[in-house]
Amino acid sequence: MSVAALHKVDLKPKDYKSEVSVVWCPGCGYHGILNSIYRALSELGVDYANLMAISGIGCSSRTPYFIKSYKMHTLHGRAGPVATGAQLARPDLAVLVTGGDGDGFSIGGGHMPHMARKNVNMTYVLYDNGIYGLTKGQYSPTSRPELKAYTTPYGGPDEPMNPLLYMLTYGATYVAQGFAGKPQICAELIKGALEHKGFSYVNIFSQCPTFNNIDTVEYYRELVREIPEGHDVTSLGAAMELARRDAEGHAPIGLLYKVDRPTLDERLHKIVEKVGGHPGYDVNKIIDLARP
Amino acid sequence: MNSTDIQIALCGSAGDGTIAAGDILRNAVAALGYRVICFDVYPPEIRGFGKCISRVRITTEQTYALKRQSDLLISLDDSHAIPHAGEVRTDGAIIYESKPVGHCPEGSHMSSHILPGQIPYGIPLRELAEKATGGARSRNLVVLGVIAGLLGFSPVPFQKIIEKKFAKQGPAVVSRNQAGFQSGYDVGVNTFKLDNVFCVPQESNPAAGKVVMLSGNAAVVQGCMDAELDTFFGYPITPATTIMERLATAMPKRGRRLLQTEDEISAIAATIGAGYTGARSATATSGPGLALMAEMLGLATMAEIPCVIFVSQRGGPSTGMPTKTEQSDLNAALYGSPGDSQRIVIAPTNVEGCYRCAGKAFEMSEQYQTPVIVLLDLYLSNRYETVTLTESGPPFTLNANKPLRRLEAGESYQRYAFTEDGVSPRAVPGDSGCMHVVTGLEHNTLGRPNDSEEIHTAMSRKRHDKLLAALHHPDFTVTKRIGHSGRIKVGILAWGSTFGECLEAMFMAHAEGISCASMKVVMLSPFPVEAVTQFMDDCDQVLVPEVNYEGQFAQLLQGILARPVVRLSRVPGSPMPVELILSEIRRLAGVV
Ligand SMILES: Cc1ncc(C[n+]2csc(CCOP(=O)(O)OP(=O)(O)O)c2C)c(N)n1
Ligand code: SF4
Ligand SMILES: [Mg+2]
Repeated sequence: MSVAALHKVDLKPKDYKSEVSVVWCPGCGYHGILNSIYRALSELGVDYANLMAISGIGCSSRTPYFIKSYKMHTLHGRAGPVATGAQLARPDLAVLVTGGDGDGFSIGGGHMPHMARKNVNMTYVLYDNGIYGLTKGQYSPTSRPELKAYTTPYGGPDEPMNPLLYMLTYGATYVAQGFAGKPQICAELIKGALEHKGFSYVNIFSQCPTFNNIDTVEYYRELVREIPEGHDVTSLGAAMELARRDAEGHAPIGLLYKVDRPTLDERLHKIVEKVGGHPGYDVNKIIDLARP
Repeated sequence: MNSTDIQIALCGSAGDGTIAAGDILRNAVAALGYRVICFDVYPPEIRGFGKCISRVRITTEQTYALKRQSDLLISLDDSHAIPHAGEVRTDGAIIYESKPVGHCPEGSHMSSHILPGQIPYGIPLRELAEKATGGARSRNLVVLGVIAGLLGFSPVPFQKIIEKKFAKQGPAVVSRNQAGFQSGYDVGVNTFKLDNVFCVPQESNPAAGKVVMLSGNAAVVQGCMDAELDTFFGYPITPATTIMERLATAMPKRGRRLLQTEDEISAIAATIGAGYTGARSATATSGPGLALMAEMLGLATMAEIPCVIFVSQRGGPSTGMPTKTEQSDLNAALYGSPGDSQRIVIAPTNVEGCYRCAGKAFEMSEQYQTPVIVLLDLYLSNRYETVTLTESGPPFTLNANKPLRRLEAGESYQRYAFTEDGVSPRAVPGDSGCMHVVTGLEHNTLGRPNDSEEIHTAMSRKRHDKLLAALHHPDFTVTKRIGHSGRIKVGILAWGSTFGECLEAMFMAHAEGISCASMKVVMLSPFPVEAVTQFMDDCDQVLVPEVNYEGQFAQLLQGILARPVVRLSRVPGSPMPVELILSEIRRLAGVV
């Protein structure tokens, strides 16, 4: 989404905290991600009355409850298409989707390519912990085969997917990766994503100390490497090269890719203009009609 | 002698222009002010030589369904039309090619299949077409000319439609087709006289120009546009696709947005997302898509988000019979979703009803904050009827939202507040005072997760009770009784497209002196217990005709009312035969 057009407000990160208390386990990486989101919203001055936080189902999908905003807690895997509808109906709103690796890439995996290729004007932050947290420890599409989860007691039968390559391949216009243990970087990447006009995707590695005993904080610290300066973010080839990981198997963190392309919203607007349609409905009219 | 009732069946191969001819015919006679009902049957294959039939019933009085017997059969391909010779009534006529080209093996020509009492009209269609246009392709236009001439219809509306239809292909094509029509017309006018058989009034009809010809799906689209639908999300599936296709043309012209999504799950998901933000939003699908939408329907029920789902049924289960009609998704529409499925389900019975139900669905979903399913079927979606134009504007409320109350200082907005009517005033994003969460989890009045017995019971009651008001929704026909009043021998209870066949059968039974009445049940959830019970109280026997195998509507009635009914469940893939309903009425009335 591009928040530039929104009415800017002056709020501290804590002003974006809702009255609902956070329910995640102590030591869960999600605490860090949530704080990064608060920080990014504050730095951008997003007006929370114009913010739609939308999620599916999972520990990560609880995020909207903790953000002061309008929000929808929907179905497992379906946050993306719900958000697409909300965005197209109300292009004046900022749309933020949060969810897990199972939510986004297993059950909801069929929607991802279409949000990316259509360049839906919204931000998708995926909390990647390589496990199903909410259902208490099953194998996920980003689990490593070494993981002995409850549904893979002898280890997994398959290879983890690469979310970054997936999103780059399908045409996301902003692709970044962070690690919950580096909240400063995460906040910067989420802020950039919120400012970006088009479909912005941020994959964030996050430890689940309760159910994933191999993807620990230490493991991620070893795994990640900050993207070197001088990387050309407009080069799809360079972004894919980074996403494939280096010879030692290190995963990049930072901004891999960012380009401009007309959004779905803009394209639909163009069609209306082409057929000479007058703007159909006035958002403010809808809001006012519901008021006393 | 001044009332007309003619049914014409045009039959040919895909590629013969059969359906196109039917289309011109129905629009031309509608322009002349006749009432028209039509239904086309075409093969499921995209190409090839499958059978096409276009049946057009033309009347001066209101009718409700096609007749079992046609008055006129036109064969553009004898191999397909021969099996239909028997559907032509005694004194009815069959028009066929009198000079077939090439070898004609025994029994392959229509002339040897005409039954005693039927009037054979062999016409050299090919020769006429070739003479007039230089090719045989416009045989279908020749045939139209023959029909117009034969029955005494003015050629003018035919000529106007031909002009319009072929204008894009240039003046040469237009005049060629006009010539084809004219050559048939001359033959029809000069050679035969059928007026006395078919009773066509020659004077112009007073209703001319005051009716439009619409298919059920086109009527749905008109209802959506008149209710000012804001967004539409859909995934193509027969027989619902044409709703989306028509909206795709119409909506951008009014600044509205339509998107083809990746599947039905995302179609309804986006519909609900848009609905949450305050937009009027809809999707359309058939049985297989409805199955995929089930989980999302539960979300809309739980989170109390307005959305409208048009479902045009086809033969099932599974992929079933995509181009055949059936009424077998009633159970899925009523119950398909996890948990108690509180929702509104309405089913129009004719084309005009499609228009009204479409528009009213938006009102209801906003007013009661619930998903509304409008159940159609292939027969209703694809059949054409003349609809009388009204002078006043669209009969729909454009904002049915309950107004928000101004909050007291320090008061937090409760999205799911308990109220007298069960409907909690709904705030939409952008309003600075009313931020809240909506969720598929059971929740308290603030929307926060809560699975206590007290909350789950109270919220279940809220979601159930608020819908009951829909049974008295303003300007909406929930049930309607037609036919004899008071105590009757046979009552017919029906829903959806089959109701038209029920009325036809009922009027025939009236003519035979049988006391009977029919009731259509348009709202299937919540169920109009009182009205239906009252009707059943008046009936010695209750007959429930429906086009599915398990008798889903009969089961619903028996489940709710615990009374016996007589089922008439058939799955012919086509509308319920009127004769079958009539013979059941006779049997139940003790007339044999
Ligand atoms: C249709 C459906 N299937 C299964 C579930 C059960 N379920 C809830 S969350 C979840 C997986 C959560 O994992 P992930 O998306 O990675 O989120 P995390 O909890 O790790 O943040 C599953 C399988 C469900 N809610 N709905
Ligand atoms: S189960 Fe794992 S992902 Fe869920 S809150 Fe606990 S630590 Fe975090
Ligand atoms: Mg996970």
